Amino acid sequence: GPGLKVISTLSVGFDHLALDEIKKRGIRVGYTPDVLTDATAELSVALLLSACRRLPEAAEQVKSGGWTTWKPLWMCGYGLSDSTVGIIGLGRIGQAVARRLKPFGVRRFLYTGSGPKPESAAEFGAEFVPLTRLAEESDFVVVTCALTPATQGMCNKDFFGRMKKTSVFVNTSRGAVVNQEDLYDALAQGQIAAAGLDVTTPEPLPTDHPLLSLKNCVILPHIGSATYATRSTMAVLAAKNLLAGLRGEPMPHELKL
Amino acid sequence: MWYHKPVINEELLQSLPNLKVVASSGVGIDHLDLKLLSSYGVKVSNTPFVVSTDTADLGMTLMLASSRRLVEGHEMAVSPDTEYFPADWLGAEVSGATLGIVGMGTIGYKVAERAKAFEMKILYHNRSQRKKEEESAVGAVYCKKIDDLLQQSDFVLLAVNLTPQTQKLIGKRELELMKPTATLINISRGLVVDQDALVEALQNEVIKAAALDVTYPEPLPRDHPLLKMKNVIITPHIGSATKKTRWIMMEEMTESIEAGLAGRPIPREVL
Repeated sequence: GPGLKVISTLSVGFDHLALDEIKKRGIRVGYTPDVLTDATAELSVALLLSACRRLPEAAEQVKSGGWTTWKPLWMCGYGLSDSTVGIIGLGRIGQAVARRLKPFGVRRFLYTGSGPKPESAAEFGAEFVPLTRLAEESDFVVVTCALTPATQGMCNKDFFGRMKKTSVFVNTSRGAVVNQEDLYDALAQGQIAAAGLDVTTPEPLPTDHPLLSLKNCVILPHIGSATYATRSTMAVLAAKNLLAGLRGEPMPHELKL
Repeated sequence: MWYHKPVINEELLQSLPNLKVVASSGVGIDHLDLKLLSSYGVKVSNTPFVVSTDTADLGMTLMLASSRRLVEGHEMAVSPDTEYFPADWLGAEVSGATLGIVGMGTIGYKVAERAKAFEMKILYHNRSQRKKEEESAVGAVYCKKIDDLLQQSDFVLLAVNLTPQTQKLIGKRELELMKPTATLINISRGLVVDQDALVEALQNEVIKAAALDVTYPEPLPRDHPLLKMKNVIITPHIGSATKKTRWIMMEEMTESIEAGLAGRPIPREVL
Protein backbone atom coordinates (compact mmCIF):
# COMPACT_ATOMS: atom_id res chain seq x y z
CA GLY A 1 0.00 0.00 0.00
CA PRO A 2 1.01 3.66 -0.29
CA GLY A 3 1.80 3.98 3.42
CA LEU A 4 4.69 1.47 3.28
CA LYS A 5 7.89 3.16 4.46
CA VAL A 6 10.26 0.38 5.50
CA ILE A 7 11.02 -3.20 4.51
CA SER A 8 13.11 -5.12 7.01
CA THR A 9 14.25 -8.51 5.78
CA LEU A 10 15.56 -11.30 8.01
CA SER A 11 18.34 -12.24 5.60
CA VAL A 12 21.48 -11.02 3.88
CA GLY A 13 20.07 -12.01 0.50
CA PHE A 14 17.81 -9.46 -1.17
CA ASP A 15 17.07 -11.24 -4.45
CA HIS A 16 13.43 -11.54 -3.34
CA LEU A 17 13.00 -7.75 -3.34
CA ALA A 18 12.01 -5.76 -6.43
CA LEU A 19 14.60 -3.08 -5.78
CA ASP A 20 13.66 -0.78 -8.69
CA GLU A 21 10.05 -0.52 -7.51
CA ILE A 22 11.14 -0.09 -3.91
CA LYS A 23 13.56 2.69 -4.79
CA LYS A 24 10.93 4.41 -6.93
CA ARG A 25 8.58 4.58 -3.98
CA GLY A 26 11.25 5.89 -1.58
CA ILE A 27 10.94 2.86 0.67
CA ARG A 28 13.96 2.07 2.86
CA VAL A 29 15.31 -1.47 3.23
CA GLY A 30 17.05 -3.04 6.21
CA TYR A 31 18.82 -6.41 6.12
CA THR A 32 21.01 -8.63 8.34
CA PRO A 33 24.53 -9.13 6.94
CA ASP A 34 27.53 -10.23 9.07
CA VAL A 35 25.54 -11.64 12.00
CA LEU A 36 24.66 -14.76 10.05
CA THR A 37 28.06 -15.32 8.43
CA ASP A 38 29.42 -17.86 10.92
CA ALA A 39 26.26 -19.94 11.16
CA THR A 40 25.88 -20.11 7.38
CA ALA A 41 29.55 -20.89 6.76
CA GLU A 42 29.38 -23.60 9.41
CA LEU A 43 26.31 -25.13 7.78
CA SER A 44 28.00 -25.03 4.38
CA VAL A 45 30.94 -27.01 5.77
CA ALA A 46 28.59 -29.40 7.60
CA LEU A 47 26.77 -29.98 4.31
CA LEU A 48 29.99 -30.47 2.34
CA LEU A 49 31.29 -33.04 4.85
CA SER A 50 27.93 -34.81 5.03
CA ALA A 51 27.81 -35.09 1.26
CA CYS A 52 31.40 -36.24 0.73
CA ARG A 53 31.31 -38.76 3.60
CA ARG A 54 27.77 -39.89 2.67
CA LEU A 55 26.40 -39.26 6.15
CA PRO A 56 22.60 -39.46 5.62
CA GLU A 57 23.05 -42.52 3.40
CA ALA A 58 25.26 -44.26 5.95
CA ALA A 59 22.99 -43.35 8.87
CA GLU A 60 20.03 -44.76 6.95
CA GLN A 61 21.88 -48.04 6.32
CA VAL A 62 22.42 -48.38 10.05
CA LYS A 63 18.70 -47.97 10.76
CA SER A 64 17.40 -50.03 7.86
CA GLY A 65 19.61 -53.02 8.46
CA GLY A 66 21.51 -52.49 5.21
CA TRP A 67 24.69 -52.62 7.26
CA THR A 68 25.35 -56.33 7.44
CA THR A 69 29.01 -57.20 7.29
CA TRP A 70 31.81 -54.71 6.97
CA LYS A 71 33.59 -54.52 3.63
CA PRO A 72 36.67 -52.36 2.94
CA LEU A 73 35.19 -50.34 0.08
CA TRP A 74 31.61 -50.14 1.33
CA MET A 75 30.23 -46.66 1.98
CA CYS A 76 33.51 -45.01 1.06
CA GLY A 77 33.44 -41.29 0.45
CA TYR A 78 35.96 -38.60 -0.43
CA GLY A 79 38.45 -36.85 1.82
CA LEU A 80 39.50 -33.20 1.79
CA SER A 81 43.18 -33.94 2.28
CA ASP A 82 45.29 -32.60 -0.65
CA SER A 83 42.17 -31.35 -2.39
CA THR A 84 41.38 -28.25 -4.43
CA VAL A 85 38.40 -26.27 -3.20
CA GLY A 86 36.67 -23.82 -5.53
CA ILE A 87 34.56 -21.08 -3.98
CA ILE A 88 32.05 -19.26 -6.13
CA GLY A 89 31.65 -15.88 -4.45
CA LEU A 90 34.43 -15.09 -1.99
CA GLY A 91 32.32 -12.75 0.10
CA ARG A 92 31.92 -12.84 3.88
CA ILE A 93 30.38 -16.30 3.89
CA GLY A 94 32.76 -17.65 1.24
CA GLN A 95 35.76 -16.50 3.26
CA ALA A 96 34.36 -17.96 6.47
CA VAL A 97 33.91 -21.27 4.64
CA ALA A 98 37.50 -21.22 3.38
CA ARG A 99 38.77 -20.46 6.87
CA ARG A 100 36.98 -23.50 8.26
CA LEU A 101 38.11 -25.81 5.46
CA LYS A 102 41.78 -24.86 5.60
CA PRO A 103 42.85 -27.21 8.43
CA PHE A 104 41.23 -30.18 6.70
CA GLY A 105 44.35 -30.35 4.56
CA VAL A 106 43.06 -28.49 1.53
CA ARG A 107 46.01 -28.02 -0.80
CA ARG A 108 44.65 -25.18 -2.90
CA PHE A 109 41.79 -22.67 -2.93
CA LEU A 110 40.37 -21.25 -6.17
CA TYR A 111 37.65 -18.64 -6.36
CA THR A 112 35.59 -16.84 -8.95
CA GLY A 113 33.22 -13.89 -9.01
CA SER A 114 32.72 -10.53 -10.64
CA GLY A 115 36.32 -9.58 -9.98
CA PRO A 116 39.43 -10.51 -7.95
CA LYS A 117 39.53 -9.71 -4.23
CA PRO A 118 43.21 -9.80 -3.35
CA GLU A 119 42.86 -8.78 0.34
CA SER A 120 40.23 -11.44 1.00
CA ALA A 121 42.07 -14.07 -1.03
CA ALA A 122 45.46 -13.54 0.62
CA GLU A 123 44.52 -15.36 3.83
CA PHE A 124 44.01 -18.57 1.88
CA GLY A 125 46.41 -18.03 -1.01
CA ALA A 126 43.30 -18.31 -3.16
CA GLU A 127 43.68 -17.89 -6.92
CA PHE A 128 41.10 -15.95 -8.95
CA VAL A 129 40.06 -18.01 -11.98
CA PRO A 130 37.27 -18.02 -14.56
CA LEU A 131 34.22 -20.13 -13.71
CA THR A 132 35.17 -22.76 -16.29
CA ARG A 133 38.60 -23.36 -14.78
CA LEU A 134 37.14 -23.53 -11.29
CA ALA A 135 34.79 -26.27 -12.46
CA GLU A 136 37.58 -28.20 -14.16
CA GLU A 137 40.12 -28.11 -11.38
CA SER A 138 38.10 -28.31 -8.16
CA ASP A 139 37.48 -31.42 -6.09
CA PHE A 140 34.93 -29.48 -4.04
CA VAL A 141 32.83 -26.59 -5.35
CA VAL A 142 31.06 -24.35 -2.83
CA VAL A 143 28.59 -21.73 -4.04
CA THR A 144 28.29 -18.76 -1.69
CA CYS A 145 27.49 -15.92 -4.08
CA ALA A 146 24.49 -13.61 -4.20
CA LEU A 147 21.68 -14.30 -6.65
CA THR A 148 21.79 -11.64 -9.36
CA PRO A 149 20.92 -11.58 -13.06
CA ALA A 150 24.58 -12.51 -13.69
CA THR A 151 24.58 -15.56 -11.43
CA GLN A 152 21.13 -16.90 -12.26
CA GLY A 153 21.40 -20.38 -13.77
CA MET A 154 25.19 -20.11 -13.70
CA CYS A 155 25.71 -23.70 -12.60
CA ASN A 156 24.40 -25.47 -15.65
CA LYS A 157 25.11 -28.32 -18.04
CA ASP A 158 28.36 -26.76 -19.26
CA PHE A 159 29.54 -26.17 -15.70
CA PHE A 160 28.75 -29.66 -14.43
CA GLY A 161 30.16 -31.19 -17.61
CA ARG A 162 33.54 -29.66 -16.80
CA MET A 163 33.62 -30.90 -13.20
CA LYS A 164 35.54 -34.00 -12.15
CA LYS A 165 33.74 -37.34 -11.78
CA THR A 166 34.98 -37.47 -8.19
CA SER A 167 33.92 -33.94 -7.27
CA VAL A 168 31.33 -32.71 -4.78
CA PHE A 169 29.06 -29.69 -5.42
CA VAL A 170 27.61 -27.66 -2.54
CA ASN A 171 25.11 -24.80 -2.84
CA THR A 172 24.15 -22.64 0.13
CA SER A 173 23.47 -19.48 -1.85
CA ARG A 174 20.12 -19.46 -3.67
CA GLY A 175 18.40 -22.26 -5.57
CA ALA A 176 18.14 -20.21 -8.78
CA VAL A 177 21.93 -20.06 -9.19
CA VAL A 178 21.71 -23.73 -10.16
CA ASN A 179 19.95 -25.24 -13.17
CA GLN A 180 18.34 -28.10 -11.32
CA GLU A 181 17.60 -30.29 -14.33
CA ASP A 182 21.25 -30.08 -15.36
CA LEU A 183 22.34 -30.89 -11.82
CA TYR A 184 20.08 -33.92 -11.76
CA ASP A 185 21.52 -35.17 -15.04
CA ALA A 186 25.09 -34.64 -13.83
CA LEU A 187 24.44 -36.62 -10.64
CA ALA A 188 22.42 -39.37 -12.27
CA GLN A 189 25.00 -39.88 -15.02
CA GLY A 190 27.98 -39.85 -12.67
CA GLN A 191 29.47 -36.63 -14.06
CA ILE A 192 29.98 -35.51 -10.47
CA ALA A 193 30.13 -37.68 -7.36
CA ALA A 194 27.71 -35.94 -4.99
CA ALA A 195 25.89 -32.73 -4.17
CA GLY A 196 24.72 -30.91 -1.06
CA LEU A 197 21.96 -28.29 -1.36
CA ASP A 198 20.62 -26.06 1.38
CA VAL A 199 18.62 -24.12 -1.18
CA THR A 200 16.42 -25.19 -4.09
CA THR A 201 13.76 -23.86 -6.41
CA PRO A 202 11.13 -24.00 -5.05
CA GLU A 203 11.48 -24.70 -1.32
CA PRO A 204 10.41 -27.36 -0.58
CA LEU A 205 10.83 -29.25 -3.83
CA PRO A 206 7.67 -30.93 -5.14
CA THR A 207 7.37 -34.47 -3.80
CA ASP A 208 7.99 -36.05 -7.19
CA HIS A 209 11.11 -34.03 -8.01
CA PRO A 210 13.87 -36.28 -9.39
CA LEU A 211 16.58 -34.73 -7.17
CA LEU A 212 14.80 -36.20 -4.15
CA SER A 213 15.36 -39.71 -5.46
CA LEU A 214 19.14 -39.45 -5.64
CA LYS A 215 21.15 -41.17 -2.92
CA ASN A 216 24.11 -38.90 -3.59
CA CYS A 217 22.22 -35.64 -3.15
CA VAL A 218 21.89 -34.29 0.38
CA ILE A 219 19.15 -31.70 0.63
CA LEU A 220 18.52 -29.47 3.64
CA PRO A 221 15.52 -27.23 4.35
CA HIS A 222 17.31 -23.84 4.00
CA ILE A 223 18.83 -23.85 7.47
CA GLY A 224 22.00 -21.88 6.75
CA SER A 225 21.39 -19.40 9.53
CA ALA A 226 19.05 -21.56 11.59
CA THR A 227 20.57 -21.52 15.05
CA TYR A 228 19.01 -20.16 18.22
CA ALA A 229 21.80 -17.64 18.74
CA THR A 230 21.96 -16.37 15.18
CA ARG A 231 18.22 -16.12 14.54
CA SER A 232 17.77 -14.19 17.82
CA THR A 233 20.46 -11.76 16.77
CA MET A 234 18.96 -11.45 13.30
CA ALA A 235 15.49 -10.85 14.75
CA VAL A 236 16.70 -8.11 17.07
CA LEU A 237 18.65 -6.50 14.24
CA ALA A 238 15.68 -6.66 11.89
CA ALA A 239 13.49 -5.03 14.53
CA LYS A 240 16.06 -2.30 15.10
CA ASN A 241 16.32 -1.71 11.34
CA LEU A 242 12.55 -1.45 11.11
CA LEU A 243 12.13 0.92 14.03
CA ALA A 244 14.99 3.16 12.87
CA GLY A 245 13.42 3.29 9.44
CA LEU A 246 10.04 4.29 10.83
CA ARG A 247 11.66 6.99 12.97
CA GLY A 248 13.61 8.36 10.00
CA GLU A 249 16.90 7.51 11.72
CA PRO A 250 20.00 5.69 10.37
CA MET A 251 19.56 1.92 10.40
CA PRO A 252 22.16 -0.44 11.87
CA HIS A 253 22.28 -2.17 8.46
CA GLU A 254 20.58 -0.40 5.59
CA LEU A 255 20.68 -1.72 2.07
CA LYS A 256 21.98 0.95 -0.29
CA LEU A 257 19.54 1.16 -3.22
CA MET B 1 42.81 -58.81 8.20
CA TRP B 2 40.09 -56.23 7.70
CA TYR B 3 37.93 -55.01 10.58
CA HIS B 4 38.15 -57.54 13.38
CA LYS B 5 37.48 -60.79 11.53
CA PRO B 6 38.42 -63.60 11.68
CA VAL B 7 38.61 -63.92 15.45
CA ILE B 8 42.15 -64.98 16.27
CA ASN B 9 42.08 -67.53 19.04
CA GLU B 10 44.00 -70.62 20.14
CA GLU B 11 42.01 -72.82 17.74
CA LEU B 12 42.78 -70.69 14.70
CA LEU B 13 46.46 -70.37 15.51
CA GLN B 14 46.84 -74.11 16.00
CA SER B 15 45.24 -74.72 12.61
CA LEU B 16 47.71 -72.32 10.94
CA PRO B 17 51.14 -73.59 12.02
CA ASN B 18 52.95 -71.63 9.32
CA LEU B 19 51.37 -68.29 10.17
CA LYS B 20 54.09 -65.67 10.49
CA VAL B 21 52.40 -62.27 10.21
CA VAL B 22 49.00 -60.81 10.96
CA ALA B 23 48.51 -57.47 9.27
CA SER B 24 45.52 -55.71 10.82
CA SER B 25 43.69 -52.83 9.11
CA GLY B 26 43.27 -49.53 10.92
CA VAL B 27 44.95 -48.39 14.09
CA GLY B 28 42.90 -50.23 16.76
CA ILE B 29 44.33 -53.50 18.06
CA ASP B 30 41.84 -54.14 20.86
CA HIS B 31 40.48 -57.14 18.96
CA LEU B 32 43.89 -58.90 19.03
CA ASP B 33 45.27 -60.99 21.88
CA LEU B 34 48.87 -59.84 21.51
CA LYS B 35 50.21 -62.19 24.20
CA LEU B 36 48.63 -65.18 22.50
CA LEU B 37 49.98 -64.22 19.09
CA SER B 38 53.43 -63.64 20.53
CA SER B 39 53.39 -67.05 22.16
CA TYR B 40 52.90 -68.58 18.71
CA GLY B 41 55.74 -66.47 17.29
CA VAL B 42 53.33 -64.51 15.09
CA LYS B 43 54.18 -60.87 14.38
CA VAL B 44 51.50 -58.18 14.21
CA SER B 45 51.27 -54.93 12.28
CA ASN B 46 48.58 -52.24 11.96
CA THR B 47 48.02 -49.12 9.82
CA PRO B 48 48.10 -46.29 12.35
CA PHE B 49 48.71 -42.87 10.83
CA VAL B 50 47.01 -43.20 7.49
CA VAL B 51 43.55 -43.39 9.10
CA SER B 52 43.98 -40.27 11.21
CA THR B 53 42.85 -37.57 8.80
CA ASP B 54 39.69 -39.29 7.58
CA THR B 55 38.73 -40.25 11.13
CA ALA B 56 39.26 -36.72 12.39
CA ASP B 57 37.20 -35.46 9.44
CA LEU B 58 34.41 -37.84 10.38
CA GLY B 59 34.56 -36.70 14.01
CA MET B 60 34.00 -33.13 12.83
CA THR B 61 31.26 -34.27 10.45
CA LEU B 62 29.39 -36.02 13.27
CA MET B 63 29.72 -33.02 15.57
CA LEU B 64 28.47 -30.59 12.91
CA ALA B 65 25.71 -32.90 11.71
CA SER B 66 24.45 -33.46 15.23
CA SER B 67 24.54 -29.82 16.26
CA ARG B 68 22.87 -28.51 13.10
CA ARG B 69 20.43 -31.47 12.97
CA LEU B 70 21.57 -32.47 9.52
CA VAL B 71 20.06 -35.93 9.25
CA GLU B 72 16.70 -34.71 10.57
CA GLY B 73 16.86 -31.73 8.21
CA HIS B 74 17.61 -33.90 5.21
CA GLU B 75 14.69 -36.19 6.07
CA MET B 76 12.41 -33.16 6.30
CA ALA B 77 13.63 -31.71 3.03
CA VAL B 78 13.01 -34.91 1.08
CA SER B 79 9.89 -36.14 2.84
CA PRO B 80 6.67 -36.28 0.82
CA ASP B 81 4.83 -35.08 3.94
CA THR B 82 6.65 -31.76 4.15
CA GLU B 83 4.52 -28.86 2.95
CA TYR B 84 6.72 -25.98 4.07
CA PHE B 85 9.87 -25.43 6.06
CA PRO B 86 9.00 -24.08 9.53
CA ALA B 87 10.73 -20.78 10.27
CA ASP B 88 11.46 -21.75 13.86
CA TRP B 89 13.25 -25.03 13.10
CA LEU B 90 16.63 -24.40 14.67
CA GLY B 91 19.87 -26.05 15.69
CA ALA B 92 22.83 -25.04 17.82
CA GLU B 93 26.07 -23.50 16.59
CA VAL B 94 29.37 -25.31 16.73
CA SER B 95 31.28 -22.08 16.10
CA GLY B 96 32.41 -20.60 19.41
CA ALA B 97 31.29 -23.59 21.50
CA THR B 98 33.52 -25.65 23.84
CA LEU B 99 34.90 -28.97 22.62
CA GLY B 100 36.35 -31.46 25.09
CA ILE B 101 38.63 -34.04 23.46
CA VAL B 102 39.18 -37.20 25.46
CA GLY B 103 42.32 -38.79 24.06
CA MET B 104 44.64 -36.29 22.41
CA GLY B 105 46.60 -38.66 20.23
CA THR B 106 47.12 -38.24 16.50
CA ILE B 107 43.42 -38.32 15.73
CA GLY B 108 42.39 -36.18 18.72
CA TYR B 109 44.94 -33.54 17.80
CA LYS B 110 43.75 -33.41 14.19
CA VAL B 111 40.21 -32.85 15.46
CA ALA B 112 41.54 -29.96 17.55
CA GLU B 113 43.22 -28.43 14.48
CA ARG B 114 39.91 -28.51 12.62
CA ALA B 115 37.84 -27.29 15.53
CA LYS B 116 40.11 -24.29 15.99
CA ALA B 117 39.01 -22.94 12.61
CA PHE B 118 35.45 -22.86 13.96
CA GLU B 119 36.69 -20.69 16.85
CA MET B 120 35.89 -23.46 19.30
CA LYS B 121 37.31 -23.40 22.81
CA ILE B 122 39.27 -26.65 23.14
CA LEU B 123 39.81 -28.67 26.30
CA TYR B 124 41.52 -32.04 26.36
CA HIS B 125 42.09 -34.95 28.69
CA ASN B 126 44.96 -37.31 28.05
CA ARG B 127 47.20 -39.68 30.00
CA SER B 128 49.92 -37.06 29.67
CA GLN B 129 49.99 -33.38 28.84
CA ARG B 130 51.08 -32.37 25.35
CA LYS B 131 53.99 -30.00 24.71
CA LYS B 132 53.31 -26.28 25.15
CA GLU B 133 53.84 -25.55 21.42
CA GLU B 134 51.36 -28.27 20.48
CA GLU B 135 48.82 -26.90 22.94
CA SER B 136 49.14 -23.30 21.84
CA ALA B 137 49.03 -24.20 18.14
CA VAL B 138 45.39 -25.25 18.64
CA GLY B 139 44.60 -23.27 21.78
CA ALA B 140 43.96 -26.46 23.76
CA VAL B 141 43.74 -26.42 27.56
CA TYR B 142 44.75 -29.55 29.48
CA CYS B 143 42.26 -31.02 31.96
CA LYS B 144 44.13 -33.40 34.21
CA LYS B 145 40.82 -34.52 35.67
CA ILE B 146 38.28 -35.69 33.14
CA ASP B 147 35.53 -34.26 35.38
CA ASP B 148 36.65 -30.69 34.58
CA LEU B 149 36.42 -31.41 30.87
CA LEU B 150 33.02 -33.05 31.16
CA GLN B 151 31.51 -30.21 33.17
CA GLN B 152 32.60 -27.46 30.79
CA SER B 153 32.16 -29.01 27.34
CA ASP B 154 29.32 -28.51 24.88
CA PHE B 155 30.72 -31.39 22.82
CA VAL B 156 32.66 -34.32 24.29
CA LEU B 157 34.59 -36.24 21.64
CA LEU B 158 36.19 -39.61 22.41
CA ALA B 159 39.39 -40.43 20.53
CA VAL B 160 41.11 -42.83 22.92
CA ASN B 161 42.14 -46.35 22.05
CA LEU B 162 40.36 -49.22 23.74
CA THR B 163 42.33 -50.75 26.61
CA PRO B 164 41.32 -52.28 29.94
CA GLN B 165 41.75 -48.76 31.40
CA THR B 166 39.47 -47.03 28.89
CA GLN B 167 36.70 -49.62 28.86
CA LYS B 168 33.51 -47.90 30.09
CA LEU B 169 35.50 -44.70 30.55
CA ILE B 170 32.22 -42.86 29.99
CA GLY B 171 29.59 -44.31 32.29
CA LYS B 172 26.63 -43.08 34.28
CA ARG B 173 28.79 -40.88 36.50
CA GLU B 174 30.58 -39.21 33.61
CA LEU B 175 27.35 -38.64 31.67
CA GLU B 176 25.80 -36.98 34.71
CA LEU B 177 28.78 -34.63 34.94
CA MET B 178 28.17 -33.48 31.37
CA LYS B 179 25.94 -30.49 30.63
CA PRO B 180 22.31 -31.30 29.83
CA THR B 181 22.89 -29.37 26.59
CA ALA B 182 25.98 -31.40 25.68
CA THR B 183 26.55 -33.89 22.88
CA LEU B 184 28.70 -37.05 23.09
CA ILE B 185 30.66 -37.95 19.95
CA ASN B 186 32.38 -41.32 19.75
CA ILE B 187 34.94 -42.14 17.05
CA SER B 188 36.98 -44.49 19.25
CA ARG B 189 35.44 -47.85 20.18
CA GLY B 190 31.93 -48.77 21.32
CA LEU B 191 33.18 -50.31 24.56
CA VAL B 192 34.73 -47.03 25.74
CA VAL B 193 31.15 -46.02 26.54
CA ASP B 194 28.81 -47.82 28.91
CA GLN B 195 26.16 -48.12 26.23
CA ASP B 196 23.24 -48.94 28.55
CA ALA B 197 24.11 -45.91 30.66
CA LEU B 198 24.18 -43.83 27.48
CA VAL B 199 20.71 -45.00 26.46
CA GLU B 200 19.39 -44.10 29.89
CA ALA B 201 21.11 -40.71 29.87
CA LEU B 202 19.60 -39.87 26.49
CA GLN B 203 16.13 -41.08 27.48
CA ASN B 204 16.19 -39.00 30.66
CA GLU B 205 17.66 -35.94 28.89
CA VAL B 206 20.77 -36.03 31.07
CA ILE B 207 22.66 -35.11 27.90
CA LYS B 208 21.21 -33.62 24.72
CA ALA B 209 22.40 -35.88 21.93
CA ALA B 210 24.93 -38.43 20.71
CA ALA B 211 26.72 -39.09 17.43
CA LEU B 212 28.45 -42.45 17.19
CA ASP B 213 30.60 -44.04 14.50
CA VAL B 214 31.19 -47.00 16.80
CA THR B 215 28.92 -49.10 18.99
CA TYR B 216 28.94 -52.47 20.66
CA PRO B 217 28.16 -54.67 18.89
CA GLU B 218 28.45 -53.52 15.28
CA PRO B 219 25.89 -53.49 13.89
CA LEU B 220 23.47 -53.00 16.76
CA PRO B 221 20.57 -55.45 17.05
CA ARG B 222 17.58 -54.27 15.04
CA ASP B 223 15.45 -53.39 18.06
CA HIS B 224 18.12 -51.41 19.95
CA PRO B 225 16.78 -48.17 21.49
CA LEU B 226 19.69 -46.11 20.09
CA LEU B 227 18.40 -46.76 16.57
CA LYS B 228 15.09 -45.10 17.32
CA MET B 229 16.21 -41.89 19.01
CA LYS B 230 15.83 -38.68 17.00
CA ASN B 231 18.79 -37.10 18.76
CA VAL B 232 21.22 -39.92 17.95
CA ILE B 233 23.19 -40.24 14.73
CA ILE B 234 24.91 -43.58 14.13
CA THR B 235 27.26 -44.25 11.23
CA PRO B 236 28.49 -47.76 10.35
CA HIS B 237 32.14 -47.47 11.48
CA ILE B 238 33.24 -45.43 8.48
CA GLY B 239 36.00 -43.44 10.16
CA SER B 240 38.59 -44.36 7.57
CA ALA B 241 36.16 -44.89 4.72
CA THR B 242 37.61 -43.12 1.72
CA LYS B 243 38.82 -45.10 -1.29
CA LYS B 244 42.18 -43.37 -1.15
CA THR B 245 42.83 -44.30 2.48
CA ARG B 246 41.55 -47.85 2.14
CA TRP B 247 43.92 -48.41 -0.80
CA ILE B 248 46.85 -47.09 1.19
CA MET B 249 45.87 -49.32 4.12
CA MET B 250 45.89 -52.31 1.77
CA GLU B 251 49.30 -51.35 0.43
CA GLU B 252 50.66 -50.89 3.94
CA MET B 253 49.35 -54.27 5.08
CA THR B 254 50.81 -55.97 2.01
CA GLU B 255 54.16 -54.28 2.65
CA SER B 256 54.18 -55.43 6.29
CA ILE B 257 53.33 -58.99 5.29
CA GLU B 258 56.03 -59.13 2.63
CA ALA B 259 58.62 -57.83 5.07
CA GLY B 260 57.52 -60.33 7.69
CA LEU B 261 57.69 -63.27 5.31
CA ALA B 262 61.12 -62.19 4.09
CA GLY B 263 62.40 -61.98 7.66
CA ARG B 264 63.01 -58.22 7.38
CA PRO B 265 61.96 -55.65 10.01
CA ILE B 266 58.22 -55.15 9.76
CA PRO B 267 56.95 -51.63 9.09
CA ARG B 268 54.24 -50.60 11.59
CA GLU B 269 54.87 -53.61 13.77
CA VAL B 270 52.84 -53.69 16.98
CA LEU B 271 55.03 -54.75 19.85
